[in-house]
Amino acid sequence: MISSINPSIKAIAVLIPGILLSFTFDVFTPLSYFIFILFVTFTMGDISVIKWLKFFSPFFLVALSFAWMTILYTNQTFSYGEVMFTLWRFEITTGSILTGTSLALRSLCFVALSLLFALTTDSTKFMLSLMQQCKVPPKITYGILAGYRFLPLFQQELQILRQAHRIRGVGRTKGLKGKINQFRRYAIPLLANGIRKAERVAIAMESKGFTGDTDRTHYHQMTIEKKDWIFFSFIVGGFIIIVVFSYNLGYLNIFGKKV
Amino acid sequence: MTNQWKLKEIVLMSILGVVFGIIYLAFFLVGQVIQNILAPFGLAPFGYEIIFGIWFIVSIVAAYILRKPGVAFTAEVIAGITEVLLGTTAGPGLILSAAVQGAGAELAFALTKWKDYRLRVLIFSGMSAALISFVWHLFYAGNITLTPWLLVATLVVRVISGALLAGVLGKWISDQLAKTDVLRGYALGKELQKRRETGAA
Repeated sequence: MISSINPSIKAIAVLIPGILLSFTFDVFTPLSYFIFILFVTFTMGDISVIKWLKFFSPFFLVALSFAWMTILYTNQTFSYGEVMFTLWRFEITTGSILTGTSLALRSLCFVALSLLFALTTDSTKFMLSLMQQCKVPPKITYGILAGYRFLPLFQQELQILRQAHRIRGVGRTKGLKGKINQFRRYAIPLLANGIRKAERVAIAMESKGFTGDTDRTHYHQMTIEKKDWIFFSFIVGGFIIIVVFSYNLGYLNIFGKKV
Repeated sequence: MTNQWKLKEIVLMSILGVVFGIIYLAFFLVGQVIQNILAPFGLAPFGYEIIFGIWFIVSIVAAYILRKPGVAFTAEVIAGITEVLLGTTAGPGLILSAAVQGAGAELAFALTKWKDYRLRVLIFSGMSAALISFVWHLFYAGNITLTPWLLVATLVVRVISGALLAGVLGKWISDQLAKTDVLRGYALGKELQKRRETGAA
């Protein structure tokens, strides 16, 4: 169901809570919003749990290590409360643990929001919607789409390069200098061929009448409907309700200050 | 702004965005590996900072090749969009971060009125991107909660990384590309051509 939401609206809906979350430093707000996003993802998203976990689990580890780092190195504003225990030369306070947990939960929220967008959005539709709703110039939109289509070609070309090297007896090299040389042997021809193709595609597009004019018709019309705004208010509204709750329960903490 | 750009220049930025977008994604893994290596020494916070400059490189490469206002910013945003298009875990938040980094890189070129593309300006651009992105991360990633000495140390490492991995490496890659003569239709290739002609005469 979420895959049918207009991509631009979806992107903005995902961005706003992400930015607002950056103000909160308590545990309750990001935790409840994280649960809220999980609920949205699995009830409305048609995303399989296993696929989601495959993308999500590495970030879980990253968030854990990030939390640990923050706990060790919190500054005075955020290391309030009593010292819970001392680890080597680090004094761990309740405040630093709460801040670390909050930041980890925040980054998990970012990842969950990103996945909610990435796993339900078609790349081409996203670009078309950026052009039709967000008024990104057609020159840029179609330029990006053309470049993006080269991705499979790059893989093919890399293979050809590798075979060409092998047939001429250029093997793997050892040492740092050899590695740098090897990087140059692959990167420069790949980029050079890419640039040649870019030029050709641009000329081809223009010779077939592409002017980059904003006053043009579209084969795929992207529209904004009522359900897009409902989705938008649901995602953003959910965040606002959680913040209000968190404020009333006395948990809300903005930049280290309880409000 | 976009009216001054030719379509082939935009497609070039997009191609650079695709290539460096893949490199950007790969470097998240590299950062994680370095972080794990440094962790036993208590230096885990520096894991990503050492290689942070790589995430600004497309701004410097594109601006150095095309030499037009707005290129550094747009190229970075395009690389961000391509990362999202690649369909990985990157969401719209990444485009926002890319815009901040691109604006940081653009700042250096704007200060020289988009006329000077010598190595020192490219290095300065990598450094300004590092600085602006650092301020952004204070806020967005919650780094503001860290102790001051650690913040200063990570900032220094990131600025050096921006100078070397974005500024110096970016110029090197572009110069290598120019030597293959594929850039003849762009500002950098034209300059090289001119230099050859005056050298020959």
